Amino acid sequence: MFLVYLVIWAFTLLAGASAVWALAWAVQTGQFRDFRAGAASIFDEGEPVGRVTDAFPGEGKHP
Amino acid sequence: MTPAVAQPLPEGLPGDRLSRIQIDRSCRQTVVWYMVSAVAWLLAGSLLALLASIKMHTPGFLADADWLTFGRVRPAHLSTMIYGWGSMAGVGVLLWLQARLSRVRLPLPLLLPVTVVIWNLAVLYGTVRILQGASTGIEWLEFPVEVLAFIGFCMAVIIVASVLMFVRRQVKHTYVSQWYLFGAVLWFPFLYILGVVLSEAGDVRGVAKAAANWWFAHNVLGLWFTPIGLATAYYMIPKVIGRPVHSYHLSLLGFWTLAIFYNWAGTHHLIGGPLPAWLVTVGIVGSMMMFIPVITVAVNHHLTMAGNFHHLRTSPTLRFVVVAAMSYTVVSFQGSLTALRAVNEVSHFTHYTIAHAHLGVYAFFTMMMFGAAYYILPRLMNTEWHSARWIRVHFWATSLGMALYWLGLTWAGWRQGEMMNDPNIPFLAIVEYTKPWLHSRSLAGVLMTIGHVSFAWLVWNLVRQRGAALIGPTLLKRRKSA
Ligand code: HEM
Ligand code: HEM
Repeated sequence: MFLVYLVIWAFTLLAGASAVWALAWAVQTGQFRDFRAGAASIFDEGEPVGRVTDAFPGEGKHP
Repeated sequence: MTPAVAQPLPEGLPGDRLSRIQIDRSCRQTVVWYMVSAVAWLLAGSLLALLASIKMHTPGFLADADWLTFGRVRPAHLSTMIYGWGSMAGVGVLLWLQARLSRVRLPLPLLLPVTVVIWNLAVLYGTVRILQGASTGIEWLEFPVEVLAFIGFCMAVIIVASVLMFVRRQVKHTYVSQWYLFGAVLWFPFLYILGVVLSEAGDVRGVAKAAANWWFAHNVLGLWFTPIGLATAYYMIPKVIGRPVHSYHLSLLGFWTLAIFYNWAGTHHLIGGPLPAWLVTVGIVGSMMMFIPVITVAVNHHLTMAGNFHHLRTSPTLRFVVVAAMSYTVVSFQGSLTALRAVNEVSHFTHYTIAHAHLGVYAFFTMMMFGAAYYILPRLMNTEWHSARWIRVHFWATSLGMALYWLGLTWAGWRQGEMMNDPNIPFLAIVEYTKPWLHSRSLAGVLMTIGHVSFAWLVWNLVRQRGAALIGPTLLKRRKSA
């Protein structure tokens, strides 16, 4: 029974604490500011916004 | 199977940032191995699925050998699909996405490939034990306990790799997919350990054990498969159509509400069971709260796609991913409604639940992984898919098969439930009623398996590099001038 309680409480505390920590970290490092830059972060000079990056093999007219 | 004759890495982008192609190359060995293994398990799981399905309308089929009885092939189907196909494909996609999003090389180049071998052996061993009749008898945890140690080790390595990539990341913003992936990677091992401890420690018995069991199984879906699936959608949709996600604000709201509400909902699997009523009510409330992340995600993906639906004709990745994203909305709405006591009274213990289950793990998660594979694998192998026709066969066979599966069993399951609640209808009449629909499920299974074989054939040829070579960091880039 001790093991069971230990595991349950350890899990609950770890999971809870890590969520609170992550939220605090996100607020502090500005993850909730500048949403536009966040959304654009998957694009770059090589594959800018506006470039379609997938097509059926041998059929791609675009990129 | 080893892909890759080592090719010199091309120059990086200006500055010290790694080019996309260098990152993709660093993932090649590990990710390709995870995906190829996953596809092998998909084929094995399909075979077991067909057996289980046929046995439901033709019980005598291959029933002479004890290891082929329904009670063994059914959990073997579940376990190969969930821990073999779903989880291995999920890990492959997760590692690749994290490397790309952090813009760093995949770390632990020696250890990660070893985890592929261990994971495969663990699933193989577990499946053989189930077929031998040594299942633990606990749903979703049928593998013997030893398997935990092996998959646990692999997950520990994967956590270390994820943390390393995050710490070394070269981008300022943590993209929404990374939130989901980090969630998945940290939640799953805890769930798994807790799930096994609670079901194996002799102190947890009866109702408490059932509650722990379903808390686990539900969270494998909601906190492992779902975040990996959504992370994929949040990357692939904007990336393929070349348009940032419609509302980044909503996407973060969706993540945090999922993280807060999903793990409360596990007891909705036990509605009507002998649990304390409040415990079930908590699960139902959790299920209702899920409308928030689900609607958020649905609106966001729809508005990102708006005006871009014509790309569905030309992009295989987008086809699979959009079908999957739409299925996510449907399965979640259906799930929330199913969690209401008035609905569950009818639908529980019927084929309706099986239809919902496959709408989730198949139409949402499996289709999402297919879409991701179409994008990722050519970039890793530096080779184009060898045949557009086989991709179309794959798409239509799996989509139509899944539609037939879901429509048939949802309808029949609901009628089955209504009849079971009517004491004047003899049980055998209900069994007879469902038989044609069970046949239609087997037909659906054949269609889906045809799709899986086509996919395996495409992957096989790709890994053998039997397609046109790709040049440059972007797929098909050279055709730009054409
Ligand atoms: C808001 C989202 C969702 C809610 C509220 C929900 C609700 C439910 C409920 C109430 C059941 C139990 C039905 C019964 O046994 O009577 C169930 C079963 C199931 N759901 Fe969902 N669902 C949701 C999303 C999903 C997703 C996204 C997936 C897949 C990734 C999924 C996969 C399953 C599976 C596999 C089962 C069957 C489990 C089993 O009996 O082995 N669900 N769901
Ligand atoms: C070839 C396509 C497939 C067919 C024909 C099929 C068929 C079946 C059958 C006959 C059952 C047992 C239903 C029962 O006990 O009443 C089942 C259960 C299940 N299958 Fe599949 N399946 C397929 C693909 C998949 C895939 C790809 C996954 C996972 C990624 C999956 C996950 C599951 C799960 C989780 C259950 C348990 C559902 C529950 O308890 O509610 N299946 N499937």
